[in-house]
Amino acid sequence: MRRQLRSRRAPAFPHSYRYRLDDQDEVNQNYLADEEEEAEEEARVMLVPDLEEEEEEEEGEKEEKKEEEEGQGQPTGNTWWWKLQIMNEYLWDPEKRMFLARTGLILVIYFFFYASLAAVITLCVYTLFLNISPYMPTFTEKVKPPGVMIRPFAHSLNFNFNVSEPDTWQHYVISLNGFLQGYNDSLQEEMNVDCPPGQYFIQDANEDEDKKACQFKRSFLKNCSGLDDPTFGYSTGQPCILLKMNRIVGFRPELGDPVKVSCKVQRGDENDIRSINYYPESASFDLRYYPYYGKLTHVNYTSPLVAMHFTDVVKNQAVPVQCQLKGKGIINDVINDRFVGRVIFTLNIET
Amino acid sequence: MGEKTPRIYSVELNGAKDMEQTDKGDDKKYRSLRENCLELGKNHHKEELRKEVDLDDHKLSNKELENKYHTNIITGLSSTQAAELLARDGPNTLSPPKETPEIIKFLKQMVGGFSILLWVGAILCWIAYGIQYSNDKSSSVDNVYLGTVLALVVILTGIFAYYQEAKSTNIIASFSKMSPQQALVIRDSEKKIIPAEKLVVGDIVEIKGGDQIPADIRLLFAQGCKVDNSSLTGESEPQPRSCEFTHNNPLETKNIGFYSTTCLEGTATGMVINTGDRTIIGQIASLASGVGNEKTPIATEIEHFVHIVAGVAVSIGVLFFIIAVSMKYHVLDSIIFLIGIIVANVPEGLLATVTVTLSLTAKRMAKKNCLVKNLEAVETLGSTSIICSDKTGTLTQNRMTVAHLWFDNQIFVADTSEDHSKQTFDQSSGTWASLSKIIALCNRAEFRPGQESVPIMKRVVVGDASETALLKFSEVVLGDVMDIRKRNHKVAEIPFNSTNKFQLSIHETDNTTDKRFLMVMKGAPEKVLEKCSTIMVNGQEQPLDKSTAEAFHTAYMELGGLGERVLGFCHLYLPADKFPETYSFDVDTMNFPMSNLCFVGLLSMIDPPRSTVPDAVTKCRNAGIKVIMVTGDHPITAKAIAKSVGIISANSETVEDIAKRLHIPVEQVNKQDAKAAVVTGMELKDMSVDQLDEVLTSYSEIVFARTSPQQKLIIVEGCQRQDAVVAVTGDGVNDSPALKKADIGIAMGIAGSDAAKNTADMVLLDDNFASIVTGVEEGRLIFDNLKKTIAYTLTKNIAELCPFLIYIIIGIPLPIGTITILFIDLGTDIVPSIALAYEKAESDIMNRKPRHKKKDRLVNKQLALYSYLHIGLMQSLGAFLVYFTVYAQEGFRPSILINLRVEWEQDSVNNLEDSYGQEWTHYQRKYLEWTGYTAYFVGIMVQQIADLIIRKTRRNSIFQQGLFRNKVIWVAIASQIIIALILSYGLGSVTALNFTMLQPQYWFVAVPHAILIWVYDEVRKLFIRLYPGSWWDKNMYY
Repeated sequence: MRRQLRSRRAPAFPHSYRYRLDDQDEVNQNYLADEEEEAEEEARVMLVPDLEEEEEEEEGEKEEKKEEEEGQGQPTGNTWWWKLQIMNEYLWDPEKRMFLARTGLILVIYFFFYASLAAVITLCVYTLFLNISPYMPTFTEKVKPPGVMIRPFAHSLNFNFNVSEPDTWQHYVISLNGFLQGYNDSLQEEMNVDCPPGQYFIQDANEDEDKKACQFKRSFLKNCSGLDDPTFGYSTGQPCILLKMNRIVGFRPELGDPVKVSCKVQRGDENDIRSINYYPESASFDLRYYPYYGKLTHVNYTSPLVAMHFTDVVKNQAVPVQCQLKGKGIINDVINDRFVGRVIFTLNIET
Repeated sequence: MGEKTPRIYSVELNGAKDMEQTDKGDDKKYRSLRENCLELGKNHHKEELRKEVDLDDHKLSNKELENKYHTNIITGLSSTQAAELLARDGPNTLSPPKETPEIIKFLKQMVGGFSILLWVGAILCWIAYGIQYSNDKSSSVDNVYLGTVLALVVILTGIFAYYQEAKSTNIIASFSKMSPQQALVIRDSEKKIIPAEKLVVGDIVEIKGGDQIPADIRLLFAQGCKVDNSSLTGESEPQPRSCEFTHNNPLETKNIGFYSTTCLEGTATGMVINTGDRTIIGQIASLASGVGNEKTPIATEIEHFVHIVAGVAVSIGVLFFIIAVSMKYHVLDSIIFLIGIIVANVPEGLLATVTVTLSLTAKRMAKKNCLVKNLEAVETLGSTSIICSDKTGTLTQNRMTVAHLWFDNQIFVADTSEDHSKQTFDQSSGTWASLSKIIALCNRAEFRPGQESVPIMKRVVVGDASETALLKFSEVVLGDVMDIRKRNHKVAEIPFNSTNKFQLSIHETDNTTDKRFLMVMKGAPEKVLEKCSTIMVNGQEQPLDKSTAEAFHTAYMELGGLGERVLGFCHLYLPADKFPETYSFDVDTMNFPMSNLCFVGLLSMIDPPRSTVPDAVTKCRNAGIKVIMVTGDHPITAKAIAKSVGIISANSETVEDIAKRLHIPVEQVNKQDAKAAVVTGMELKDMSVDQLDEVLTSYSEIVFARTSPQQKLIIVEGCQRQDAVVAVTGDGVNDSPALKKADIGIAMGIAGSDAAKNTADMVLLDDNFASIVTGVEEGRLIFDNLKKTIAYTLTKNIAELCPFLIYIIIGIPLPIGTITILFIDLGTDIVPSIALAYEKAESDIMNRKPRHKKKDRLVNKQLALYSYLHIGLMQSLGAFLVYFTVYAQEGFRPSILINLRVEWEQDSVNNLEDSYGQEWTHYQRKYLEWTGYTAYFVGIMVQQIADLIIRKTRRNSIFQQGLFRNKVIWVAIASQIIIALILSYGLGSVTALNFTMLQPQYWFVAVPHAILIWVYDEVRKLFIRLYPGSWWDKNMYY
């Protein structure tokens, strides 16, 4: 029907090609009717029923849709009443004895499903931890070789300060002071034991027994201990920087060959740093601080430190310094990791 | 159509009346062609249409034509004129259908599906880097890198999809050779052979039997010229052509020959009046391209699926972007999260796998003689609910074959199978001896020489269809017919013509003792009977009395009622005294007796159904597919064939049948009682849209007879209004709009015209209906398997997504990186997704109803929920277990991981403490994180193996399906493991890929979870099988 209307809108055919209309041919003549009178007559006749028909069709469709929405059955009377009943059935379906119909059941099923999944995962994690010792990590390869950090550390490895302006270095001093609180001689003497130097401090007790820790006194750091010079040399342009090796459970340096620290100018003139004093003077981490038995049993373990006292650094220019660990089992030239076995920082001391 | 039935001896029971109607019908047919043209090309083809209608060259005299085209009938155009015209009009070829430029096709692949999402991800990456870079010049290039990888993924999958598409279109390119090659043309008073594309209007061309007509020509001279217009109008009968103007309609008049039709016999000279796209066929071909191509069902499904996944991705992404921002994350970080969520959610490799899956099926179908042009059409056939099939050639063998014989008052059945192995009827009767002689002698058809080794039924015969049938029949029964004809020398002959309605020949016999001439005759039974006074029964001549005449009529009606073409045979031995050996017969004066002959028997022929068709129709019926026959043939024949192949089942009746059985008028029959209907083109024309809809819905078995191919379009549209997915078979040029309109157009590979093949989505290489059924089966299987593939692929999305969500919410180190996700989606998961395409059907897929286009979605709620919230979550848990195990064994127990994110990721923190008090540098943590990625990746991979196995079936247990039946699945599992091994151990040292060498024991952590997934799914399937129709079945079966 619609097609006919459309085709009638098409331009009339040229008059050179005319068709006799065939009586039998009602549908087709509409397409071909180039004789305008006839076409118009057709249009008049056809237009009205067409529209009606379309409307009917649309109504029919709407009704169908409604029916679909409402589900099975025929709404005979009031649709509102019908909907209400469906709601009722949804809330409580007496035939199927179901509360909240499907939603309820779905929730219940999912609840049980997830509850049992949770149980399964809990069981898995539980067995996992039964098999993993809380005292010693299973593997330590990834944390080896040890990394290095320095103090004072304030999110930056550039030490820029002006000797004559205390504000520029005061925070380093505070940071160092704070860091060294745990190394106070009194505290160390009270908590830890003085163990013999030059050898491992091995404690062959059960792994769940508490371990003793060796003393590392603040005073070991001498001029960098902050005891004699509370400004750690910053006020004189001779800054102290503390170097700490990352703790690794079970890590032992080579016997008789403790890990040493050595610093030099990383790039540029080697004479930019004319002298460095290391404290302790050996510039090494004594073997008695190893091995480390882990946080849980080795509670008071105190990481050994090496202080570098840059007593004569070129002033008013940035000096890149690289401090490396040296020793067996130490790697200090990993390209990707600039903190394994070494640390690079710059000193820029203004006067 | 006065001579529409050149085989006049053929019989239509409703004879003259029917013919008259057909005449008018044809008139309308042409009109409806035009009206369809009009409708189809209403906008951009107006100009061309006007031109078509303008065609009035058939009304002009030769003189007027000469003036119009500035040519001369005797001397032709001059070369210079021709060159000018050629330059003006262009070559005489059909311009190929407007193809989308390759670059557009390529770009479409680049932005279709998920590509847009990934582009957004890539661009966000670059923006994020831009912001980072403007803040901090030394920021890492990770984001640029990720953005580039994403862009690369889009481009590569795009190129892949484009390549697949291109490959499948290339198969078809070989079909496009439509134009005739050479034409004999008169130019500069000389006859020249030039390539047909050089022809211009005004050229005088000569054609002869066997030529393709090189352009639309107005015939100036014709001798015995007949053309085959079937590809244009669907008329299978050869159309005579002459130079007289016989009809106002250019399509109807006899003095016009159309481009690309074939001249069957005779010779003709004509003037070219239209070339190239301006020819009638050119216009129809271009109109077909105007019909909007329906979106394939699978394309709709995939779009639906893309919408679901993209919707989930975008909404989760945006939700967590907001959460991240409100959790005081940096906006830049939130953008990075957003990218991660998008990448995790989008199954990057899926669309490529779908393409591969479809092309694998296409290949499989091509082996079974269904050549698929449009990859997506592979599935369309599976969802087909109505097949509108041609009769001739598709359902039938497309050759007349002797089906029944009647002699000695008895009907004998002849073998009509494809190979005619044996004829089993009684051949001992004397009547048969006479009849067989007539059949062999009264026949002008001959085998082409040199075919002795070819089976009889396959030999090429010169002659029309009926004579061919008779020749082959007698060759099978009698042996060498040519030899028989040689021994019985023909002395005179009257070929048939429309007035006589018989054929007659007079022979000397090979009987040396009997010197009488034998006159044999065949023709329309009633005409033949008129000339007879005796009838042969059991080899004895008997007078033709009333009872024998009655018997004849009963047999005649019965055979006619089967839709068969019936011929009568009679003979007469001419008395030797009147017709001595030297007698000279004159066929013009008919100096021999034409009455008191002896009637021998009847023989009926039909184009028999292919032997595979009834089975195929039954299969379709079982598969819930309605098979509608649409044919140009007569209703009776159509109905007979429909009955014999099962399109109208044995026990169903039409309204007319019921009326006949109950002896009541047709109007009084309750239409509800009739299951079947035979609707003629005539009735169809008078039907409104609603009436047609009613016919289509209320009858389950429908035959449309006497329809013009244009009405096919109307029928197709009618079916589509019922929400059916419609497959249409066709072969003619004028079928092409219907083929295009149909959801899947199927062209005949042998009989089909190139135009039909070009528009169709699928080509049946053997023209056999049974091949369609194979196609349906493959299509359904692929739909099921695609469901499995998608379920498989979607599952791991949750496992990929959860890490990001948990990372954002509780701040653990990221369990899996974006690049790693891409390695799952485009690495380990690709082969398994394809492997599912090789899965065998779970049950007899040909025993269920075709899926409902709008209700049975590829990705439905159940599938999404089950994949995401059941298996997906279980998988995430398993993968997280591996992740936590790795971290815990390395020193980070789960409790410490929570809220560790900020410190963990800080570059400057190089002494981060773990649960054991160990201190980690940033890079050490990074490396551990990658180990976590690898562990999580391996966790997913291991569980995806279980996922792959459970997805083999949706209802049956895996053990019912056979764990090892689909070998490809195991290849896929092996590939998964090998790829993962290579990534971890082979490429573990390449930092950019974020893989590390994972310790062997971590590969097995997720195995119990994989087993759990398998067990859970088996339980699900068990309940589905145990309680069909239950809540569980409805919600857990996807």
